[in-house]
Amino acid sequence: MGIQFKEVSFQYPGWGKQFFEALKDISLTINDKDEFIALVGETGSGKSTLAQHMNALIFPTSGTVEINGVPITAKRNKKIKYNSIRQQIGLVFQFPEYQLFEETVEKDIMFGPKNFRVPEEEAREMAKKALNMVGLSDKYLTRNPFNLSGGEKKRVSIAGILAMNPKILILDEPTSGLDPAGKKLLMNLFKSIQKETGKTIIIITHDMDLVYEYTNRVLVLNEGMLEFDGTPDYLFHRHDIDKWHLDYPATISVLRSINDKFHYNLDIYQKTIDAAVSTIAKAVQS
Amino acid sequence: MSYIDIQNINFAYHPKRPILQNLSLSIDKGQWIAILGHNGSGKSTLAKAIIGLLEPDFGTIDIDGMTLSPTTVYEIRKKIGIVFQNPDNQFVGVTVRDDIAFGMENLGVPQAEMLEKIDFYAEKVGMKAFLDKEPAELSGGQKQRVAIAGILAMQMDAIIFDEATSMLDPTARRELMDYIRELHNEGLTIIMITHDIEEALWAQRLVIIKDGTVFRQGTREELLKEPVTFIEAGLELPVGLQISNALKQMNALSLELEEHLWESSLKK
Repeated sequence: MGIQFKEVSFQYPGWGKQFFEALKDISLTINDKDEFIALVGETGSGKSTLAQHMNALIFPTSGTVEINGVPITAKRNKKIKYNSIRQQIGLVFQFPEYQLFEETVEKDIMFGPKNFRVPEEEAREMAKKALNMVGLSDKYLTRNPFNLSGGEKKRVSIAGILAMNPKILILDEPTSGLDPAGKKLLMNLFKSIQKETGKTIIIITHDMDLVYEYTNRVLVLNEGMLEFDGTPDYLFHRHDIDKWHLDYPATISVLRSINDKFHYNLDIYQKTIDAAVSTIAKAVQS
Repeated sequence: MSYIDIQNINFAYHPKRPILQNLSLSIDKGQWIAILGHNGSGKSTLAKAIIGLLEPDFGTIDIDGMTLSPTTVYEIRKKIGIVFQNPDNQFVGVTVRDDIAFGMENLGVPQAEMLEKIDFYAEKVGMKAFLDKEPAELSGGQKQRVAIAGILAMQMDAIIFDEATSMLDPTARRELMDYIRELHNEGLTIIMITHDIEEALWAQRLVIIKDGTVFRQGTREELLKEPVTFIEAGLELPVGLQISNALKQMNALSLELEEHLWESSLKK
């Protein structure tokens, strides 16, 4: 189970008779548990289009996306319950906090489950559980979402998707607009949700520091093509990632600049600042 | 006298939760300043107060010798423009051409002069080839540049960038920062609202906002000497400086290494 892309291409209708090919011949497999994946690439590389295929929000122009065993192709099939796919694969858009609309946090989180015909009481339970999963206590249930801080709103809107108990959670630039503390809080939250529930989490991001520290697989898109599918370690060992418009994580850049300048031989592949510091300290003290 | 002079402004949506508290700040003409603070520190509220999008409960804001009030606000908006975080929130035209024209139309600029200016400023921000494009055909960085062209066309003195790069990818972000530097070199006053220290370090002067008031201000070199200031304000230093400070505490930092880490972190 999970998601399989088989030679998927997608074209947007362009202006006049032109078409814009957003995805080109993509094949890849995503397991429905225990993955923490980063989807990266510059603006316009096809990241969001790929994510929208994963929960059948859009359909491939050619090829097949198999989602938990259900084949999605260009041709719509009346027998397929597309809504049930959207419940299994939760997609959180960028700035989901703009989409809050109910008068209490509880109602807002319950909206999704109720929409998928979960009975009222059960939806209430799911809402509470989801709220706790994003690190907010029960006392938030009765709060008005519009009076929350930006970071809290973001977490409530993520809880709204978690309440549907999706197997895979996809988040489009979840940390954009957050300050460093807010970013860390959210990423640690995803990490713990991932560990505790075993759900696969996919984040779309431009932040290579987060990719390196938190995820265990990276998909690189460039001009609609899947250029790389592997571990962040392998990706950042490559010397040619700028051709995909990617930066190196700051720890690697700083350590590399030290090696170049002082002819040291430090192991530059350190995922955290603490690890980078102790690498340098060891070298200096010996 | 400073170009912008803010005296003791206070603002609250709810009396128990003040957002700006006795905030005073002066900004000279032609300066590039970064206003730094964590989410919720009040920095965006300050930006809105400066261009009169919200009125302080008390305190005064003087701009170019004029006190901001409901009667002067339209005069002041001819002097200071703002570029917001989400480029989609401020694109009002059907095409790039319309969007650049919008502000000038409001000012009643004659048609012939307007057309000339549209061409000139579109060229200046590198968007001339896109004049007939619709917003849906533009990237976020391109939309931001269109917003800047609209502001420049109105011959403003100052531009506020309210987290204007936070939705851009790294390439577009660098392009915008390089472009802002050009504008500054041409004499525009630049006010950057941000929580990204890397970005703030492009500015001449940093103002750190915490709990709705000015927490510290100074040149970047002055402020970076006390890293604890940034931590107390909920901000993070560039990774190179964090490494430098940690090594220093462990007595594992040579002078050469310190110099290298600072130089490479501050180079813009």
